[in-house]
Amino acid sequence: MRLSELSYQAERFGLVVVWIAVIAVFGAMRPDTFLTWSNFSTIFGSEAVLVIVTLGLVIPLTAGDFDLSIAQTLTFTSMLTAIMSAKMGIPLVFIIPVVLAVGALIGVVNGTITLYFRVHSLIVTLGVGTFLHGVTLWVSDSQTIGGVSSALMQYVIIQRFFGIPISFYYAIWLAAVIWYVLEFTSFGQQLLFTGRGREVGRLTGVAVGRVRLLSFVASGMIGAIAGLLYTGTTGSANPSSGTMLLLPAFAAAFLGATCIKPGRFNAWGSVIAVYFLVTGINGLSVLGFRTFVQDLFYGGALIVAVMVSQLISGRKERTL
Amino acid sequence: MINATIPRLAIKGLTKSFGGVRALSRADLTVHPAEIHGLLGKNGSGKSTLIKILSGYHAPDEGALEIDGRSVPLPMPAGKSEMHGLAFVHQNLGLLADATVLENLIAGDHERLNPWRINWRAEAARARALFDENHLSLDPGAVVADLSPVKRAQLAIVRAADRVRAHQSHGSAGLLVLDEPTPFLPMDDVSELFAMMRRLTARGVAIIFVSHDIDEVMEVTDRATVLRDGHVIGSFVTAETARGQIVEAIVGRSMTTDRIVPALAPASGFTIRVESLSGQTVRDVEMSVAPGEILGLTGLIGSGYDEVPYLLSGASPARSGQLAIGDARHDLTRMTPTIAIDAAIALIPADRQKAGLALDLTLTENVTLPLLGRRLSGALINHRLLARETAAIMTRFAVKAEAPCQTASELSGGNQQKLVLGKWLQLGPRLVLLDEPTQGIDVGARREIFERIIELCAAGASVICATSEFEQLEMIAHRVLVFDRGRIKAELSGSNVTKSAIAEACYQESGFHATV
Repeated sequence: MRLSELSYQAERFGLVVVWIAVIAVFGAMRPDTFLTWSNFSTIFGSEAVLVIVTLGLVIPLTAGDFDLSIAQTLTFTSMLTAIMSAKMGIPLVFIIPVVLAVGALIGVVNGTITLYFRVHSLIVTLGVGTFLHGVTLWVSDSQTIGGVSSALMQYVIIQRFFGIPISFYYAIWLAAVIWYVLEFTSFGQQLLFTGRGREVGRLTGVAVGRVRLLSFVASGMIGAIAGLLYTGTTGSANPSSGTMLLLPAFAAAFLGATCIKPGRFNAWGSVIAVYFLVTGINGLSVLGFRTFVQDLFYGGALIVAVMVSQLISGRKERTL
Repeated sequence: MINATIPRLAIKGLTKSFGGVRALSRADLTVHPAEIHGLLGKNGSGKSTLIKILSGYHAPDEGALEIDGRSVPLPMPAGKSEMHGLAFVHQNLGLLADATVLENLIAGDHERLNPWRINWRAEAARARALFDENHLSLDPGAVVADLSPVKRAQLAIVRAADRVRAHQSHGSAGLLVLDEPTPFLPMDDVSELFAMMRRLTARGVAIIFVSHDIDEVMEVTDRATVLRDGHVIGSFVTAETARGQIVEAIVGRSMTTDRIVPALAPASGFTIRVESLSGQTVRDVEMSVAPGEILGLTGLIGSGYDEVPYLLSGASPARSGQLAIGDARHDLTRMTPTIAIDAAIALIPADRQKAGLALDLTLTENVTLPLLGRRLSGALINHRLLARETAAIMTRFAVKAEAPCQTASELSGGNQQKLVLGKWLQLGPRLVLLDEPTQGIDVGARREIFERIIELCAAGASVICATSEFEQLEMIAHRVLVFDRGRIKAELSGSNVTKSAIAEACYQESGFHATV
């Protein structure tokens, strides 16, 4: 009993320990470039968008659905923000609700097609995402659009607390909200049963269809938030911005499901997984490795994460 | 009949135990060439164990098998039975609905087909010849999903017969095992199927016909063997045997089971009425349950009794029907699980692993799901409170587990079922619907579950229990409705609820309507 409790705690915080070990190794090798507050505040700030995209995935994944369109929702809403702000001069207070509504609408489309036509969400969101990318390229004429209102950058990247850009705190705040919803609300339990025991949930009165639809709407809106922050981070919208984020976000979501609450997609695990991954990549690039390490690291992490979670569930079956 | 003296199949002393329980005990069976041989017995009589040993699914503890006089070593290596001239058609037929007739016909025919090039035109011609020979009008290009149920059954049978014939190594027409091919077929189609079986035996094929339906066995078989409690009771020449003898062999002279349910006492509360209920199989069924009453529903495979709990709880849609609880009337075509729960109806489904519990989730999460937003309203979930509630239910229902935070998959079947019972009974239901509540559960847990159900009735709730275990009904049911082809054909109550009376009612000739 004590031993199993101990191994459970080791499992919960294993990734945190590995993360600290990675920091220690790189820190020992490059103490004056890697192990500096400015390096870490850059990591924390610049990867806030990735944290938010990962958190957006956690909700549909918990409900048993994939949202591959979230990265292109980011790209599209980012472009929309830039066009409205730079080209049309619309103030931020109007842009934000429009962009959020667009994210929600994308979620409604994903959810409706998935539920009404009973198509697997993997296929639906792959199609919707690619379609959105096409629309983005079309409206932007495949150009990066700059000149976004500085107010947006002010609220995303310029303001800092303890040297870390404010966008990091948005990501932490969102993680706290999702943690709260999954952990303490009946909607969180309904999401869980929709993903892990859909028939059990249905027979217990969970409106599984509505729950799945809402989870797509949530991931669409979170994708839109990520789009706003992305535009604010760079001051511009790039038509291929989201494409590079999709796989890292999935890798982090699955890796996050091996810690804090092992076996479940969870908010804090996702945050830790994102920062573990980007720390590793940052460290390797400080050591002088080139950009290919990113793909090695993210791809490898996704594979290792799913293998580890299979091992965890396999071990549980053997103890039956 | 060539070599009529050498049996096509001879089984001697076949024995198989599962965890100390004898499923099959020194069973002998002889099937002659060109014979249709019925295999009869209740659920758990050992029929399926015998068939599964033949197909190589189970390894027997003891016993010998001879085919056409040659000894065949057991266990049968999986997938090798065709080589020895045995082919199986199971109830699900093993057809891929999305594929064409031809694709299904040649699927798995590795011995004959060139793996590098399938000549579709030649195969289609071969299929047409095969269908002609069997008087079967089937288009090789048709999609199986578009075929009528009887055509699908015929296709599966023709495929099996073709397969044993194609394997010339055994040098005989082979043996087909048809495992309950008829329960979902309309009566007219059954005779079409029988005509086809007759044409096959005319070519020397032997057939083992497994069925619950005595009438069908009487009609189509030459001989029949009855199994009960793992023993072969006897083999009969069908034409020389009276129906009653076979029924008696199946049911046996019954030892009395302990009836543990107290006599139905008048209780306050509403009688629950079901009116003109129709679903997939059941048609225009009427029934009522008094408060404090345990009503058993039973019948043979495909009779539709097991559909009723799901129709009443909104788990599957009804084609028509009304449920009246006192003044409240519910239209069953619009019933949903949520409405059912709010009307104090609880469903304990048979499929514990998929519909009863989410196995990956914790005991607390499983037990408290129906409380959220109901008894425990408010946004915030208090985990400590939920764990306490769960622990209380685990104590009350004697669920043996380490802690409420365990996952449900770590529990034994019996404890899982007690947990499901606790999950639903904590809501204080007025009507409890059970489907096979003790399937795959040990005797001790079974007894505990019965006691909880009886307690519930003593408190004035009504219970409807669908099960194929007659003994269970004898133990706990006040009244039993026996279903046949979607309708109620007999009603037994009080001291008439015995497992032999139920069995007799089940095996009674179709169409006969008895009220005992």
